[in-house]
Amino acid sequence: MSDLEDSSTPRLAAGCRWAGEGENRTLVFPEGALRLKETGRAILERCDGHRTFEQIVQELEVAYNAADSGKIRQDAFTFLERLRQKRLVDF
Amino acid sequence: MLDAPLALIAEITHRCPLHCVYCSNPLQMVSLASELTTREWESVFEQGAKLGALHVHLSGGEPLAREDLTQLIRSAHGCGLYTNLITSGIGLSERRWDELVAAGLDHIQLSFQDSREARANWIAGTRAHALKLEIATMVRRSTVAFTVNIVVHRQNVDHLEEMMALAESLQPERLEIAHVQYYGWAWKNVDELLPTREQVLESLETIAAAQKRLTGKIRIDAVVPDYYARFPKACMGGWGRRQLLIDPSGKALPCHAAAVIPGLQFENVRDRPLEWIWRESESFQKFRGESWMPEPCRSCDRRTEDFGGCRCQAFMITGDATSTDPVCSLAPAHGLVEQKLSQVNSMAENAAADKTSQVLKTQQEQFWVYRPQPK
Repeated sequence: MSDLEDSSTPRLAAGCRWAGEGENRTLVFPEGALRLKETGRAILERCDGHRTFEQIVQELEVAYNAADSGKIRQDAFTFLERLRQKRLVDF
Repeated sequence: MLDAPLALIAEITHRCPLHCVYCSNPLQMVSLASELTTREWESVFEQGAKLGALHVHLSGGEPLAREDLTQLIRSAHGCGLYTNLITSGIGLSERRWDELVAAGLDHIQLSFQDSREARANWIAGTRAHALKLEIATMVRRSTVAFTVNIVVHRQNVDHLEEMMALAESLQPERLEIAHVQYYGWAWKNVDELLPTREQVLESLETIAAAQKRLTGKIRIDAVVPDYYARFPKACMGGWGRRQLLIDPSGKALPCHAAAVIPGLQFENVRDRPLEWIWRESESFQKFRGESWMPEPCRSCDRRTEDFGGCRCQAFMITGDATSTDPVCSLAPAHGLVEQKLSQVNSMAENAAADKTSQVLKTQQEQFWVYRPQPK
C-alpha cells in the first residue's frame, strides 16, 4: 500500500461510482451512498485516474482562489486518505 | 417530509440450491408459480428509481435460479440503479458471468459458510463449497467490485481467523463478517447457532485486529449479534425509512421478516404503485416515526438512533410487535433474552465438557433444520 504522493493518480475504487445529477449527485458504493459537500465533490470529481494529486491540488487552488495552498493540499490529502481507508478511493 | 428509500431489496426468487440452516427467508416461502415476471420486476425497478432509490440488492433464495437475471440487471442498471448481486455463486458459468458484467452489474457479494469444506457443506446442507471457491476465482478475474461474506455462529466462529484468511486469499475489496441474525430458519435453529459470550468477544477482537491490519486493502464490515449488545440495532435503518423489500410474489415489506407480524396487511406491487405503498400503505406507516413507541423508547434519547430496535424480533420473543426490542437492556422483556443466553451458554459449556456427546449429536440428522426448497 503506497502513500498518497504528488505523482499519485487517485481514482474511485472498484464498485464506486456517481449517481444522480447536480445537487443530488451522490457517490454510490456497495451497501452505501455518500452525498458530499461541495469541496469534497470538487476533490473527488477530479480523481479520474489520470490527474495527479499535484494537478488536482493546483486546480483546486485556482478554483477556490486559495491564498494558502498548503491548507488545500493538507485538506485534500486528509480527505482522500480517509476515503481510501473506507475503500472508496484507490491511488 | 418522508425521504425516498435508499435501497430496494429485490428478493427475486426463494428457490435455492443451498439449504443453509441460518437462512433469513420466511418459513412460508413463495413458489415458482407465484413469482413476478420479468416485466413486472422491470416495472418495480423503474418505479423504485423514480421514487429515488439508489441501490437494488438482487437477493433470494438464489437469484441465479432466475433465468432472466441478466435481463433484470440490464433493466435495473438502465434505470440508473446501483446493482448488487447477493449470491452463493451456484449457477454461475464463465459465460453467464460475462453476460451479467456486460449487463451492468456493479457489485457481487459471494457468501461462504466455512473455510473447511466438510463443515461448509454441512451448514449449507449441500456440497457447494469447492464450487464456490472456483467461482470466487472466476469473479476475481474481472474488475467488478467483490465482497466476500462469511456468516458466523456458534458452530464456526471458533476458527474465524482461518475463515478470514480464506476470504483474504480470494482478494475481495470488501469482507463482511455477519453474525447470524435470528429470523426465518435461523430462528428455528437458534439453540444450535447462537454463539457464547466468550465466542462473541473473541470474534470482535479478531475482527478489530484484521480491520487494522488490512486498512486500505480490504474493507471489513461486521454485523454484530444484537443479543449480546446493550442496545438494539437500528433495524433496517428504521421501519419504512430507508429500505423497501419486494418478495418473489411482489409483496412489499419493510424488512425480510415482517410477514411474521400478525394483523399487518402487506400490499402487492401487482395491485398498487410502489410510491403509494411506500408513502401511504398502512403496513409501511405502522411503525414509522415515533408515535407507536411504548416506554422506555418513547422518552429514550436513543429513539432517533435505533428506532426502538426490531419489530419482528420484539414479536418473535415477546409475542407483541409493539414492545421494545427485548435485546435492549432497558426493555421490560429483556429477561427473556437473558434467559436464552444463559441457556445457550451453559449448554455450550456442558457440551465442551463432554466432547463425545457433541460429536454424536452433530452426526445426528436431527441436529438442526435445513431450509427446504419452496413447494
